Formats: sequence, structure tokens, C-alpha cells
Amino acid sequence: MTISKIFKTLTLATLLTLSGNAAADLLTDIQKRGVMKVGMATFVPWAMRDKDGDLIGFEIDVATKVAEDMGVKVQFVPTAWSGIIPALIAKKFDVIIGGMSITPQRNLTVNFTEPYAHSGQQMAASSKLASGFDSMDDFNKSSVTIACRRGATPCKAAQKLFPKATVLRFDDDAQAFQEVVNGNAHGMISSAPKPRFWSEAHPGKVFLPFGSKNLTRGDEAFALRKGDHDALNFFSNWITINTSNGWLDETHAYWFQDQSAWKDMVAPK
Amino acid sequence: MNRNTPPPLEIKKRLTIVDFLLYGAVALFIFYAVYRVNDVLVYHWNWSKVLGFLVKFDDESEAWVSNLLLQGLWTTLRLALWATVLATVFGVVMGYWRTCKNLTLRIISRTYVELIRNMPPVVFIFIFYFFVSSQIFPALGIEDIDSEGAFASSAMFHFMFGDPQLFSNFLAGMICLALFEGAYITEIVRAGIQSTEKGQWEAARAIGLSPFNVLRDIVIPQAVRKILPPLAGQFITLIKDSAIISLISIQELTFVATEVAATTTRVFETWILVGFMYFILCYSFALLFAHLERRAKRSQR
Repeated sequence: MTISKIFKTLTLATLLTLSGNAAADLLTDIQKRGVMKVGMATFVPWAMRDKDGDLIGFEIDVATKVAEDMGVKVQFVPTAWSGIIPALIAKKFDVIIGGMSITPQRNLTVNFTEPYAHSGQQMAASSKLASGFDSMDDFNKSSVTIACRRGATPCKAAQKLFPKATVLRFDDDAQAFQEVVNGNAHGMISSAPKPRFWSEAHPGKVFLPFGSKNLTRGDEAFALRKGDHDALNFFSNWITINTSNGWLDETHAYWFQDQSAWKDMVAPK
Repeated sequence: MNRNTPPPLEIKKRLTIVDFLLYGAVALFIFYAVYRVNDVLVYHWNWSKVLGFLVKFDDESEAWVSNLLLQGLWTTLRLALWATVLATVFGVVMGYWRTCKNLTLRIISRTYVELIRNMPPVVFIFIFYFFVSSQIFPALGIEDIDSEGAFASSAMFHFMFGDPQLFSNFLAGMICLALFEGAYITEIVRAGIQSTEKGQWEAARAIGLSPFNVLRDIVIPQAVRKILPPLAGQFITLIKDSAIISLISIQELTFVATEVAATTTRVFETWILVGFMYFILCYSFALLFAHLERRAKRSQR
């Protein structure tokens, strides 16, 4: 063989060996570092800031417990949601614990663990425009406008459940909700329990047409980089254990059931 | 004064009927806008929640310390100042290369300018952060900076660069911002250098100054005077573009504002307050540059 062929084979072999070794060791890396870096985004009540500027919320509790059980410290890397998966792939943090819904498109780029929470989409409706609406057919008309946060599951649910209605997309849940409060949209769809919290904050103007029943059921899980089965196994089993012993349900109820448990932490004196 | 300065304007300092009518019209417009907004927008204003995120009373040290929003402001300030310094360096070097006799230097600087000017800042930062810095920084060992080590955890480090754990993101954001704005500063510097009369170059060379001395003592001082207004505008643009760095997890003012707005659901109060903070920051820069311009004009007789 010529020199250049030998060289090319050697390079290829080295790269393959190196890449094989590099993939599998997230758990070892975390333990060596002593810190687990968690990517999340602010989303009430999954993760939010208390009045001292510290992070609190369901995600924070879950991530802290995972790190405790692993014997390491936890470091949160708040990231803009639209860049969170690229940031994970670029190794800016180890795992996304941010209430990310499992979808097949996302699953093509990242691995998901077992679901650790089942949120769903809920609808809040305008008392002015949608009074008396209480069934799916009431909203599935071309004269009805529904607001949602674009890019995420709410808008897909809106299109699928109410195909005849007009869907208004916004950058932000708060903006979508403001449309309903202003009387410009019949309803808005967002992840539970936000619509319920908002309707409680605006009693005369907004109501929940379907009570607290969710329109869809979602599965939220941790997201990890592809290629590492050991880490996936560890996190999935952690979720299974903590579902069986009830810790996850307890923590979920604390943050999601009603705001009274933690409302004071967020509002300044 | 030479041929190049414009004739002085006659500035009227007395108010006439026309002025009062204009003021009246503007006031009317503002009142109408506020009234319509309050009428149409159903919103319970609550400033105390958001102002609480500016400063908080720390029970331990029994003093008022900065909370999230002020901390975000300091980060934006750090980012803006470091990026300004770097961007000036890039801009001056590349601006000089644009006017150089050497063809390679001209090609390099022209490529730099055209590549970056013709791309939106958001796209540039995504490319730089996710592809370039995520490959280069680990190789340079910046990711492994020992955040507990003596230098990194010192107060001086924190003052200059902020949280040591986010240092590699901060560095990426800073370099990205500097590269991006440097391209525009390059063109401004080039315009300044080229607008200096050729006669100045020839006269300076004729009395025996080396090319470096010509630049340093004759051309650059004259060029700087001319480019101060667009340069001021570019630095203010830099501060505003720093808001885009919120995409890469730097806890600067815009990022923190989105968190506060989401947590308190007081969307309008948060953004009005943050807009006001940016305004103060940018306007201070503008005043500083106006002062520099006045000083430069004084030396022009």
C-alpha cells in the first residue's frame, strides 16, 4: 500500500476508536466533575425565580434530588427554550430537565427517558366572547379565534382539536393570554396549570370552559444526548423508582395543584 | 475654520405660536394614546412586584443588595465594555488593512467585512456559538476553567467577568459581539482614513515621517475627529445588540427580564422598566460621545 493509503486508514481507525470512547461516559464525567449541569427554561411553575432571585419550582426540586441521589452538586444553566436542544448537543450542559414533551421529531436528535410528568393542554376562554361555550363543537367554528404560543405543543393541539377555528400564534404564553383578556380571542391553549392560574387571577373576564379537565395528555421526560445508554438507563430508572414511591406525584401536586403553597415565595413583600 | 466646515446655523431661542401649537399637538397625542391603551387593554398594573426584582433587602448583611434585574444590568455593562474594547481593536486593525497597499491584507479585511455585514446578528451568533466556540473552546481548555480555583473565584474576576461558571459563554458572547460590530467599525475607520486629504499624507512623507508615524501623528487624529458621530452610533448599537446574547444563556438584562416577566406575569411593567434601563445606559454613552466631540471641535479652532 502507498504511504497515503496507510495514512488514511490510520486516521480513520483513530477517529473511530476515539469517537467510540467519547460517547458513552456522561455518568463518569459528571462524577469526576462533581457537578451535574442541568439545562432548563423559566416556565411557571416548572421553574421560576423567587423574590431573592433564586430558582425554585418543580424542575428545580427534581434536578436537586437527582443530583443528591447521584452524590454530586447541581448547577442550573437557564437557557432560552428555542436554543435548548442545540445547547445540549453542543455539551453546554448534561441533561435537559425542563418539562420537555416527548415528540418523535425531537426524539430524532435527542434521547428521552421515561416520562416523569404528564401535563396536558388546557383552555382558558373569554367570558365576553365565549360565554356559554362548554363543548368542543362550540369552539370548532370558523368564527372562533384561538390564541397559542407558537412552535410548541399548544399550537399543534389547537390546530388538531379545532381545525375550523382561526389560530393566532404568539411568541409568549402571556401575550396569547392577553389576547383573551382583551376580548380579541375566544380562547387560548397552554400547558396546564397556567390557564387555571390565569383564570383565577382574572375572575370576571376569563373562565375554564372544560373545567380543569385537560384537552390532551402529554409526556414530559429528561432529554439526553444520543449515544449514551448508561446515562439513559440511570435517569429512566431514577424516574421509575420515584414514581413508585410517590415522591414525584407529591412534588408535582405541591407545585401544580394550587398556587397557595408557593405564591408568597414569588411575590415580594 | 477651513473650507470643509459648514456655515453656522441661526438657532432661534424664542418660542413662538408655532412652537406652542406643536407642543399642544404632541401632548394631545400622548394623552389620547394613554387613554386608548388604558381603555382597550385590560391589565392590572402592579409595579411593586417588578421593582422588588431591582433591589432586595438581604437579611444576613442587613443592607440593600442588587437583585436579578440590576445584576443583569451589570452583566450587560460588562459585556458591552469588553466587546467595545475588542471591537475597536478589530475595527482599527481591519480598517487600516482595508486601505493598505498590500493586496492580501485588503482581501482579508474585505472578506471579513462582507461576510459579517451581510448576515443578521442572530444567525451569526448561532453559527459562532454552536459550531465555532463549542469546538474551539474545549480545545483551548476554557471549558475546564477551575471555578473553585484561586483566580477564578476572586472578587476581581467576578467584577470583570461575572460568574466564573458561565465564563466560557461570556467569552463566546463577547467575542461574537466584538466580531460582529468590528465589521461595521472597520468601514467607519476606513471612511475616516480615506477622507483625510491626500495632501496630508504627501506633506507628512515629504518632511520625512515614516508611514507608521504619519498614521499615528497626522492621519489617525484627523480621522478620529471625523468618525466620532458614526462611531458613537455604532457603540450604542453594540449595547442594544447585546440583547441578542440572551440566546446563549448569558444572564444579561434581556434574559433576566424574560425570566422576571414569566415568573411575575407582569409583562408590561418588566419590559417598560428594562427599556428604561437600556435607555439610561445608551443615553449615558451618547452623552459621553457628545462630550468627546465637543473636545475634538475645540482643537479645530
